[in-house]
Amino acid sequence: MAKFWKRWKVRILLFFAVVGPGFITANVDNDAGGIWTYSAAGAQFGHMLLWTMIPITVALIVVQEICARMGAVTGKGLSDLIREEFGFRITFLMMIGLVIVNFGNVVTEFAGIAGSLELFGLNKYYTVPVCAVIVWLIVVRGQYKTVEKVFLAASFFYLTYIVAGFLAKPAWLEALEATVVPPHKEMFLRQDYLYMVIGVVGTTIAPWMQFYLQASVVEKGVTRRQYKASQLDVIAGCIFTDTVAWFIIVACASTLYVHGYHNITSAKEAAEALQPLAEKYAYILFAVGLFNASLFAASILPLSTAYAVCEGLGFESGVGKKFGEAPVFYWLYTILIVAGAGVILMPNIPLVKISILSQVINGVVLPFVLVFMLLLVNKPTVMGEYVNSRLYNVVAWATTVIMVGLTLAWFWTLRSG
Amino acid sequence: MTTFALTELLGAPVFDTGGSRCGRVRELGLIPQEDRARIAVLIVKTGSGNRILPFGSVTSMESGIRTDIPVANWARGDGSEGMLLLERDLLDQQVIDVFGRKVVRVNDLDLQQESSGNRPVLRVGSVDVGPRGAVRRLLKGVVPLLALRALLRQIPPRSIPWDFVDLIETDPARRVKLKISHDRLAKLHPADIADIVEDLAPDEREAVFETLNEEVAAGALEEVDPKVQKAIVESLDSDRAADIVEEMEPDAAADLLADLPEERTSEILLEMQPQERKEMVELLEFKENTAAGRMNPEYLAVHVAGSVHDAVEALRHFEGGVETVSTVYLVDSHGTLAGAVPLAKLVLAKPDTPLLSLTQEPLISTHAGAREKEVAELFDKYNLMTLPVVDDNKKLTGVITSDDIISLLRANL
Repeated sequence: MAKFWKRWKVRILLFFAVVGPGFITANVDNDAGGIWTYSAAGAQFGHMLLWTMIPITVALIVVQEICARMGAVTGKGLSDLIREEFGFRITFLMMIGLVIVNFGNVVTEFAGIAGSLELFGLNKYYTVPVCAVIVWLIVVRGQYKTVEKVFLAASFFYLTYIVAGFLAKPAWLEALEATVVPPHKEMFLRQDYLYMVIGVVGTTIAPWMQFYLQASVVEKGVTRRQYKASQLDVIAGCIFTDTVAWFIIVACASTLYVHGYHNITSAKEAAEALQPLAEKYAYILFAVGLFNASLFAASILPLSTAYAVCEGLGFESGVGKKFGEAPVFYWLYTILIVAGAGVILMPNIPLVKISILSQVINGVVLPFVLVFMLLLVNKPTVMGEYVNSRLYNVVAWATTVIMVGLTLAWFWTLRSG
Repeated sequence: MTTFALTELLGAPVFDTGGSRCGRVRELGLIPQEDRARIAVLIVKTGSGNRILPFGSVTSMESGIRTDIPVANWARGDGSEGMLLLERDLLDQQVIDVFGRKVVRVNDLDLQQESSGNRPVLRVGSVDVGPRGAVRRLLKGVVPLLALRALLRQIPPRSIPWDFVDLIETDPARRVKLKISHDRLAKLHPADIADIVEDLAPDEREAVFETLNEEVAAGALEEVDPKVQKAIVESLDSDRAADIVEEMEPDAAADLLADLPEERTSEILLEMQPQERKEMVELLEFKENTAAGRMNPEYLAVHVAGSVHDAVEALRHFEGGVETVSTVYLVDSHGTLAGAVPLAKLVLAKPDTPLLSLTQEPLISTHAGAREKEVAELFDKYNLMTLPVVDDNKKLTGVITSDDIISLLRANL
């Protein structure tokens, strides 16, 4: 047994020596919020959201590449740069926004933990507090790096969706057609459809990812010279995460949507999508995957938020420091976890609904982060010769404008509907 | 003496000689070549572009800036050449707090107004890194000024005197012009310098290492995390890197060079002095995970027939690091290890005592090819401070000290 484990340990370590921050970030992207949102999108609208995947992937690659480049060229985090270039007040407001949005995401991760363990008949009033303590201890005890590797290895569960997608015998031609041709424009007047589009974009290109990726690139010590490798890493990660997303939608469309389950309200229903693969064991597969993804993201999100806020506002930060040396850092981290878990403990809280809501908020806030990123990456005083090319600017600004447009359109449908 | 916050002065109205308002304060500039603290110029945004107002011609700072030179005579420009601009170069940027030994971010600057011959003189007093500056900047223009001042008085200041602030400038030309050096930083303990450097961005680290003298840079570099260490050396010019590596403890230097790409290692070796280069090449040939890879080739050895007096003389002329001299080694004329005398025994003995009578029994040594783990076990078992390393012919080749073992164990934790 020990020998077996050792051999695998070596293999896993080799794998992570190659895999970089870009791939890791993309993997965390398929967190509880992602799984819920893609599942709901497939169940509610069938193939009608598949067309978003290609533009989203292009936008994701561009946005992530900008962050990785800024990290490699400046050696500073995104919040550091915002502070140095735009001053204290803007940074402060931005950080308040980031804390609120990420709080929503933390709540979603705990919803994922509660939902997945409920499939095993475990009550959320026990599981959520226990997992909150585990997550808190992982970081405070400084075991984060080790745990990250285990989580990441386990996140290959996502591949099961690809298999499930195949076994569900979807209407391939229709799915492929829906990937390149958007639905009739009447759909865009529907409030629930717009809401889901914003949610799908928001969960795939989440604001926190930009802060997290740039920080990871800096932390890994990537410099201008090694930057080409990081670029590949980012592109591979983005394509992987969106391929999984595509298959989740297809799997849910060809199981749940086809059979008329249009409204997912629990993990149990979402698990049905894996039925073709695992039949009655589908729920186990789904539960394990969702649990792993949620727990992983639940430890990353509060940590990344605490780092971004403390660096931007000039507080001491770092898991290497003691509680007393970096009080703001640790308190912010602790409060995000305690409050995030606390929300889920409220009786009768609709897990799926609030999860998707938090992803929609991600989508609404995204343009604000993008604007600052674009202003920064185009400053020669910051980036030197590494400023954005014209093509990048076109794609990134288009993403920004489209997200603002979608948000406004959605608010408009609210008013009239 | 009145204190102004930098962010209060920015945007303050400036009046022309006639008493009409002609613009607002855009920037405050120091000329460090003349005075590191005194404000030399104000840059004023006027209707006809930015203009430079020498601070010497300011007559009053009561409710706005007044001067006795008409606007038309102020030079045009943004005044970046040879000037340290407080808003651009300091506000929101990171600086080194030499007293607190850490990197901090500037929330605001406190400027002190003195007067000399009826004219105000403004000097930078301290750098605000606490909540007071943060709250002021957040609420300025949102809350009425008097209420804001009352609120700010309630917040205890957290600031660093200007004399303890070290600036970081990545542009070498500007560093010279602005007389930015790290003399104060250089006085800190190498381990503290290392901690500070680890908190900086790569370009800033490079800037600090280009400014420190070789000896200090070498001491600090030894203490820096190996990953960061490697990045720093890769960013420096080969000759600068060679100068620093020469000053490092040979075992630490060898570990560092072994981690670099081969090409880079040979570039640095070529720039080194022949004597040091030879020593380093020998060390690099040893496998890293063996006793020889950990040992320091600089040690204190005296002939086996010598007396305490000889040992003390040798100690006086020894140029290696202090951690290796806690034991004096005895060798015969072939260089074969013959005994070890702890420094403590040496100190207590009379000068004419033969060294051989003071040796520690049993004589523990290790072979150059021994595994690191075996070496660590020897240290543990015999409670050693230093351990001599011998080659196949029992010739003394180097010494491993307990600090090497502590680093080794920590790396494996």
